[in-house]
Amino acid sequence: MPENQPANLNARTFLAMGTVVSLSAAFAPRPDAGDDGGDGARRLDAAVRVIEADFATLEDRFSLFREDSEASALARGVLRLANASAETRAVYTDAIEWRRRTHGAFTPERPDGVLDLSGIVKARAIAEAGRSLVALGLTDWCLNAGGDVLVAGTPSPSNATSGGDAARPWLAGVVDPEDRRTLLGAYPLAGAPGCVARRALATSGSAERGDHIWAVSGGAPEFMQVSVAAADIETADVLATAIVAGGREMLDLATAQWDVDVLAVTNDGGLLATPGFRAPHAA
Amino acid sequence: MRARAAAAAALASFGILAIGWQAGAQSIEASKVTGVTNSATNGNAGTASSGSTTSSGSSASNTSAAGASSSGTGGSGTTGSGGTSGSSTSSSGSTSSGSQASTSSGLKNGSFTGTAEETRYGIVQVQVVVSGGKITDVQTPQLTGDDMRSDMINSEAAPILRSEVLQAQSANVDTVSGATYTSEGYVASLQAALNAAHA
Repeated sequence: MPENQPANLNARTFLAMGTVVSLSAAFAPRPDAGDDGGDGARRLDAAVRVIEADFATLEDRFSLFREDSEASALARGVLRLANASAETRAVYTDAIEWRRRTHGAFTPERPDGVLDLSGIVKARAIAEAGRSLVALGLTDWCLNAGGDVLVAGTPSPSNATSGGDAARPWLAGVVDPEDRRTLLGAYPLAGAPGCVARRALATSGSAERGDHIWAVSGGAPEFMQVSVAAADIETADVLATAIVAGGREMLDLATAQWDVDVLAVTNDGGLLATPGFRAPHAA
Repeated sequence: MRARAAAAAALASFGILAIGWQAGAQSIEASKVTGVTNSATNGNAGTASSGSTTSSGSSASNTSAAGASSSGTGGSGTTGSGGTSGSSTSSSGSTSSGSQASTSSGLKNGSFTGTAEETRYGIVQVQVVVSGGKITDVQTPQLTGDDMRSDMINSEAAPILRSEVLQAQSANVDTVSGATYTSEGYVASLQAALNAAHA
């Protein structure tokens, strides 16, 4: 057995909400048994089944691609919001609150007037899945749903317990929107000591999916891509979307009013970043 | 479960509305207004004045459940602040005191802190103290003007060079964040590669 035995890191993926969801979990190697990681793999399989159900539950209710979903009934006008389920109304309320707090940069209504809560539903699904993982006793995991990331703990729990090097944070790469085969940079999640734990990272873009984000002004968005790191995934996701839609003004509002880190790519390829996205000078 | 939570939240908001209403009424007749305007003019975060009894503790970035149930009052936050001219902040205070407390329908004794509400004058957060079923004090533990906001800013976004970003190669990151439209292709495949690498 190698001297510095790495933690057992396992990963699983499944499809949900039209995208790929990936769950990685790290388990400290057990010194007692001849454990080859099989225990971790079994726990991960069980966890995946639970969070798949979390995603499916929200998708059943909120997918606009499903004829029989409550969201579709709302969109068709068959169902009125006042008669919708408590959960749907709660999500709508949440979205309206975000619209108010972002001064309209984030909105749950498409330009054609159709209520589209999907922008916030995915984040809620991720958060719900995260709660499930905690409830299942998993301490070190990384959940990625279509590029939105939520983590807990560290990918190297063995180091943390053995008192060696400090546990390293989950390192999340950010895609370069101009060349998606490469990374613009990376952000350490839940890592930096002395800082508020930013466990979530979400990235929104303005290109290609014109239906995804609607510029507030109606003009071309200022930013082609915006990444936001925050303590929770809903804040990260909503603010990333809002900054793409609301431009520099919303970026300044976000950094002033929320405890977040932001990395924004302007349309001419320039970068705007808060200090958290900068490389440490010492290293 | 969720229905119960929603019902409880609704009840709580009604309770808070009632508190807000009474707070508004009382602060006009009583001298509580001074407590509010003091911190308004000072522009002070007013932690010293918030020494009143039990638990408070909600933060500006705290949304989720509390934020959800505050909608009934939330919309009026802006109108309330619009009506204030800087001196009588009490109206915005009462409207913005959303859904933090765990009251039922009546007024419980204790001190209750509302959600932090952004107004064009800064962040307003109201705390009411209930004694003997009546509101005995209204305070704004948090009122941040533009100058105070610098406390919250740990980071303003500034232009940087690409070389200044924390560099990483796909090989040494644990996961990848990208806009959704990239996920179907690149992120999915890179994640699959990472998974394979970790398997």
